[in-house]
Amino acid sequence: MERRKFIQSMFAVSAVAAVAVPSSLFAEEAKKEAQAPAKKGPNDMSFDEAVKTITDGKGAKESDKIELKVPEIAENGAVVPVKVNVDHPMDEKSHVKAIHVLNKGNGNARCADIMLTPANAKGYFATRVKLSKTQEVVALVELSDGTFIQTAKSVKVTIGGCG
Amino acid sequence: MAEKRKAMIKIKPKKFKVGDIVKVDFIVIHPMDTGMQKDKKTGKIKPAHYIDNITFSFDGKPFTTMKVWESISTNPYFSVNYKVTGKGKITVDYTDNQGEKNSKTKKVKPKD
Repeated sequence: MERRKFIQSMFAVSAVAAVAVPSSLFAEEAKKEAQAPAKKGPNDMSFDEAVKTITDGKGAKESDKIELKVPEIAENGAVVPVKVNVDHPMDEKSHVKAIHVLNKGNGNARCADIMLTPANAKGYFATRVKLSKTQEVVALVELSDGTFIQTAKSVKVTIGGCG
Repeated sequence: MAEKRKAMIKIKPKKFKVGDIVKVDFIVIHPMDTGMQKDKKTGKIKPAHYIDNITFSFDGKPFTTMKVWESISTNPYFSVNYKVTGKGKITVDYTDNQGEKNSKTKKVKPKD
């Protein structure tokens, strides 16, 4: 009888342990998930939403006209240089109307909108952005005839830069 | 927060003629807080504080306008091209989401 009791107690303990450990893990995960929405910024926007609002539901075509320069690996996510060069004439008739710099992984997908005029003479823009994790940076360009073109490039981020 | 921010406009290259295409760089010292970071000293979450509108103008005529969100780095840097048409002033006006308004001016002196 003693042996049976001993084995039973063993099973009970192991069962409790088996149940208790994962549940505590789940609890932690649930806590993290519960905290995540509270961390959201005031003007969060997903990438698809951002593209919709910019292009008015038209969507954008992939194009090799845009030269998007970003580092392949960014050691510091708080400072990632981005350069956009658009190979397009800048006349009164046909020019680059706007360059939108977007990201796919941050809370707010929109980084900057740049409205250009023919006085700029070149479709060029450079800045530095914050990236929270490894993700794609997208340059969305609006031409004066109302069409949209885009190019995406992925950036590996070692240390995130969004708080 | 009425302190004046340090800002700088750089024109590259330094020597240029009328008709040349130059780079106009604008750099401003600004925290660009996202509203998600904690203050290390007090442990409280810092309120969002970022530049949202920038206008580049030459002699009062705007040639580039920007809308900016918090994903731009601290002490932001913006660079655009500009075709020099003559003597004048390049002015950059910027506002942030807490209502600060500032501007910076630089003279344009093309050499012939």
